[in-house]
Amino acid sequence: MDDLKDKSIHLTAQMISEEIRQMPMYRGFYNEVQKLVSSSCVSNSNFRPSLLNAMRQTGLEVELRNTVFHWLRAHPGPQGRSSSAAVIGSKEPILFLKKAQAQWEKRIQKSLTSMCTELNQVLSKCRAGSDKDEMTEKWTELSTYDIDLSQYRPVYAPKDFLDVLLWIRSPNHRSLDGEGSWDFSQIPLKVKTLSELKSLFQEIARGEPLLGVNPNMPAQNNLYQNLEAERIALGEKVIAGNHAPVAQEFLKRGCPKCLRGKIWAQVLGSQVKEEHVQHFEELKLFVLQYDMIVDKLLIKDVQLTASNDDQYFVFEDVLYQIMLCFSRDTEVLKIFNNSSSTPVTGLLKGKNPSFENSIVFPPSGVIPFHGFSMYATPFCYMYDEPINLYFTFRAFYMRYCFRLHEVSSHEQGILSLCLLFERMLQRHEPTLWTHFKQINIQPVKVVFKWLMRGFSGHLPPDQLLDLWDVVLGYDSLEIFPILAVAILSFRKENILDVDTLQNIEAVLADLSSLSVVALLQLSLMKDSI
Amino acid sequence: MRVAFCTDLEKSVLVSNFEKRGWIQVGPDEDWNFYWAGTITCRNIFSVDSGYRMNDFQAINHFPNHYELTRKDLLIKNIKRYRKELEREGSPLAERSETGRYLHLDFVPITFILPADYNMFVEEYRKSPLSTWIMKPCGKSQGAGIFLINRLSKLKKWSRESKTPFNPAIAKESYVISRYIDNPLLIGGKKFDLRLYVLVTSFRPLKAYLFKLGFCRFCTVKYDAAVQELDNMFAHLTNVSVQRHGGEYNSMHGGKLSVQNLRLYLESTRGKSVTERLFANISWLIVHSLRAVASVMASDRHCFECYGYDIIIDSKLKPWLIEVNASPSLTSTTVSDRILKYKLISNILSIVLPPDGMPDVRWNKTPSAEALGNFELLLDEDLAAQDDAGPSSSSSHGSARYGRPSNRQIIRKSGWQVAVRVVSTRKRGNLVLRCVTPEATRTSDVSRYCSSFFVLWQRKS
Repeated sequence: MDDLKDKSIHLTAQMISEEIRQMPMYRGFYNEVQKLVSSSCVSNSNFRPSLLNAMRQTGLEVELRNTVFHWLRAHPGPQGRSSSAAVIGSKEPILFLKKAQAQWEKRIQKSLTSMCTELNQVLSKCRAGSDKDEMTEKWTELSTYDIDLSQYRPVYAPKDFLDVLLWIRSPNHRSLDGEGSWDFSQIPLKVKTLSELKSLFQEIARGEPLLGVNPNMPAQNNLYQNLEAERIALGEKVIAGNHAPVAQEFLKRGCPKCLRGKIWAQVLGSQVKEEHVQHFEELKLFVLQYDMIVDKLLIKDVQLTASNDDQYFVFEDVLYQIMLCFSRDTEVLKIFNNSSSTPVTGLLKGKNPSFENSIVFPPSGVIPFHGFSMYATPFCYMYDEPINLYFTFRAFYMRYCFRLHEVSSHEQGILSLCLLFERMLQRHEPTLWTHFKQINIQPVKVVFKWLMRGFSGHLPPDQLLDLWDVVLGYDSLEIFPILAVAILSFRKENILDVDTLQNIEAVLADLSSLSVVALLQLSLMKDSI
Repeated sequence: MRVAFCTDLEKSVLVSNFEKRGWIQVGPDEDWNFYWAGTITCRNIFSVDSGYRMNDFQAINHFPNHYELTRKDLLIKNIKRYRKELEREGSPLAERSETGRYLHLDFVPITFILPADYNMFVEEYRKSPLSTWIMKPCGKSQGAGIFLINRLSKLKKWSRESKTPFNPAIAKESYVISRYIDNPLLIGGKKFDLRLYVLVTSFRPLKAYLFKLGFCRFCTVKYDAAVQELDNMFAHLTNVSVQRHGGEYNSMHGGKLSVQNLRLYLESTRGKSVTERLFANISWLIVHSLRAVASVMASDRHCFECYGYDIIIDSKLKPWLIEVNASPSLTSTTVSDRILKYKLISNILSIVLPPDGMPDVRWNKTPSAEALGNFELLLDEDLAAQDDAGPSSSSSHGSARYGRPSNRQIIRKSGWQVAVRVVSTRKRGNLVLRCVTPEATRTSDVSRYCSSFFVLWQRKS
């Protein structure tokens, strides 16, 4: 048994070292190591220990460790996935979900195609010279880039996607008199119970002092004036250490605002290096070079959401840059390695329909929906420079957000989150659950837009960033349904007073007075039944 | 007894607040207890000719000569006088740098009153030609009549056109000309100013409160300091009344961003200490603008006033006082604006009225910590004086509660708990800067006050 374990570690190590050689960071890293070897700190007679020691001292070792950490996170081993998936070798083990996702993709493709026909547009073409000049000139103030978008509509809205989810039927489920159409209970996915969630979100559930609850509570160490000062001092050490897993651990008890940009970039491995600058510049060139229908959809989306939002309107111009570059970024395609979805493809002009002649559209493989840009908006408060903003947003999207708009059985997928929400509400807020049942409103309808957008645009930015600290710290989206239930239970009295969807939405429209982390702690500290 | 209110402004944020308190509306000629008046009404009531004498149970929302603070030219006059007085007294507050700038009181852009100070202006202008200056008529508001100039010839041209020769005797309208802040802090490439609300319930002793829910007003057009853009007022003036006429005005957010969000942005992108210094400097600026007029203001006990402070932050995070409004707009442009203004009025009422809710000039105007709502105390000279009298009354258990007893003491005073901290970093010569704030029920408030308010200078003997 031990033998086998040794062997598997050896194999993994071999695989990782091969992978690293393919990475963009490798060249720079290798150069640094070579420089180190030729320096006086490494001696010939004592080569190995002296090299390792020198690597430790120059921070190269930490860089290597971080690279391995990020690689492992992006490539979940067999234990991360359900075993059946590994056996079948498919991205989505449950057939009827796979089908549902495929159908959904077909619908998206169809509506995109029909939009093209209707508006007499092609998916992609070279940008006309005059247009290119205008865009180049207005790159930093694209709000003044004047194109007529009145005919463009978002391809779909969260509501459409929810309808798709609600129509999913498990073939193994036999409905008893309409049962199963009201909630997700018929979908056979395992979700965590409250006590499992408590052990996942340990620090919160144990009632440890969290920065988001009150930054001014006394510090644990008397040296510091308050918790915030203590966290800042600790956080600065974490940043200096530059160790991704440590930074992740740090986030669990809340991140001081002034350090968040750096800490998040460490956790997500999105610190901007030379190769990133070049990459971002290329993306910009691709935007200027090609005129794509997604450009209009993205610009329209920013106009419809962020530009009208009193929290985010000031960042309108930078958002256009970010979203347009994102659509051109083929790095994003990596999400399809561990997602249930496949990107939409378009056919090259004048070619026969075949695999070789079709290309992924858009280059990133992601078709925006109404509110898509809200995944990027919170980052505007963290970074002044578009490039820093871009890479952290991209990393966050590629780790988390893509799961919020696809049908999959993944435990972080939107379906599991909806199910988790329902189970928790039913189990821990039975009065509310019954009330919803009586007025015949599916509770998930009320919270779906929160879940799908990860609450972005629904909470004030400082509260939202506190929430996303938790997502990154525990590497889990399950905090969203927990918060959704906590909010409903916090506003319970008011919800019980009303009986239409419209009025419930009115009760929940303004979340600006909530203290998110305090609410989370409250609900995770509840005694489990 | 129910409070009878009267108002010149039928704004819903006002009337709904009054009605919520169960007040009854009466006309200006009837017996009222609480009058939300226009500035002119207020001046009439206090004028000798009116023959009106207020009784003890009346309150009104303006000081009779508020224009000492709110007229652009008088504000400048008062600040200049205040600095000179302090300088004469040898106060370290009036300390100057080698180039003659005030170190601690340099919070208004260099300003001259035209036509009176024309020669002084020319002298200053010649020191840095090609600089940009902003002309504002003293008596107008909402951005009317404002323009930018960067050449003396343009000023001369203007004076010819407006047919008001620089003869103080004939000139009807006076202008102020101020050094234009041409390096404003930009967010998303756009310029903004801060609108903060400051409530004063008394000038002698000075009692002032700052509303925490201020906002930033953004220009709709990208800021461009280039000369050819000087005429594009949409990039330069942040007034909502100006921006509204721009094609880009958005009625969903009205170009307004909350101060909390500004703080989040600055703390995240610039760091915590510089952000805290900025907000401390803003409080400093407000307190000293009020102290500058305190001696000339008719501090009638019936009066209180809520001022709209307009502040611009430059790219080095230094705040500049632009002007003060006596009747900040109570019109709500958006939903969140309405919520904010409703809270503003509600909080003002609970501060200016004694606990029983009926105006009474005999009340000592010391509201409880709970009554402050979203306001925080900037300065209360009554409390500061009490504090001066007995620093020995600091209770040791209080200091233990908040840690670091070496630089903070908690002093309990009649109905108030006052947190005092000696901020050693601000020590200058034989001076110690002390911070006086109300202690609130929560620890959080105390340390926030402590870190941001330096309001009382005290000479160490």
